[in-house]
Amino acid sequence: MDTKTLITEAKARFNHNSAKAYLKDKYSSKLIVADQGGLWRADQQTISFLNSMSDNFLIVVIDTFNNPVQVNREKLLETLKDTYNTVMLEWHKEWSELEKKR
Amino acid sequence: MSKGALLFAFNSPKYNYYEMAVATAKRINHFLNLPVTLVTDETSIPTDSNYVFDKTITVTPDKNNKRDWGIWINKGRYQAFELSPYDETILLDTDYLVNSNKLLQTFDLPTDFCCHDNTHFLMYPDIPQELLSNYGFKTLWATVVRFNKTKRAEQIFQSIEMIQKNFEHYANLHSFIHSTFRNDYALTLATRIVNGHTTPVSDYIPWNLVHVGKNTSIHKNTDDPFNTEYTVMFDNWNKGKIRKEYNIIKDMDFHVLNKENFLELI
Repeated sequence: MDTKTLITEAKARFNHNSAKAYLKDKYSSKLIVADQGGLWRADQQTISFLNSMSDNFLIVVIDTFNNPVQVNREKLLETLKDTYNTVMLEWHKEWSELEKKR
Repeated sequence: MSKGALLFAFNSPKYNYYEMAVATAKRINHFLNLPVTLVTDETSIPTDSNYVFDKTITVTPDKNNKRDWGIWINKGRYQAFELSPYDETILLDTDYLVNSNKLLQTFDLPTDFCCHDNTHFLMYPDIPQELLSNYGFKTLWATVVRFNKTKRAEQIFQSIEMIQKNFEHYANLHSFIHSTFRNDYALTLATRIVNGHTTPVSDYIPWNLVHVGKNTSIHKNTDDPFNTEYTVMFDNWNKGKIRKEYNIIKDMDFHVLNKENFLELI
């Protein structure tokens, strides 16, 4: 039995809450990046912090493993911004597809 | 530095784990481009299998473990350190369905040993994390372990062996049921022992282990052998009635607790 028939015959409803949770789980994990000897999350907070330290070439940042890591600020910022944009676009695209389901 | 995956598969009277291992190995080759070594026993190897593992290592399994559905041959996982031919190894359960290259990222983690400490049950987003017992530690998961051939990793596997061989004692200490040996519990205690009873965050894979759990079944959306899109069906019990719910997932690795369901997917 194909899945469309399965859904129709079971009169199954699309569960939007679990879909949102699944998407969050999937794409949050894709925001994690290993760079310059540390492990980073390409989130709004880290990107904002790196932006705000624009006077410095090298800075020390606590990574997700709680280690202080000295990094090239600009290089890390570029990496995290690229990752953020790529992942969030994918997240938005899949969310838009799933949101149409009933 | 050589990299590869390691699977353990011993057929039980109820399930053909060798068949599961072949399916999992093909997906590891396809999505991760890694060689796969299998640890098994002579009786599990079929005469007509046309899949060739990078290496097949035969051992004598300890069959002295039971679950509600029968014999569960899951002991001896501590041998992974000694048996792995790779410098960097991903040790996987055979019922883990690889659908992406996500696991390759574990090689980038700046640690010599890591496993999952958090789970996400599809269709149960708010389910609490499992504890060893009511007042025990949070359970770590042996489903996916990435380790290097270091002294510390060796000590963790030696501790798993010690705990397996004295499981009743550790069960009494930590107030969990000892009738069924679980690698998850042995791993939880072993990492704590080796880390001086601390919990370094670097030992944990920084994303969740995705489970397909109870009342949940999963169906592939295409017949492509490397299909990555699935429909998840869930029986939501409410006031004595079942309401069927579904979700669609793609490009996401997951662990299928229901073996019959896993066999339908491969």
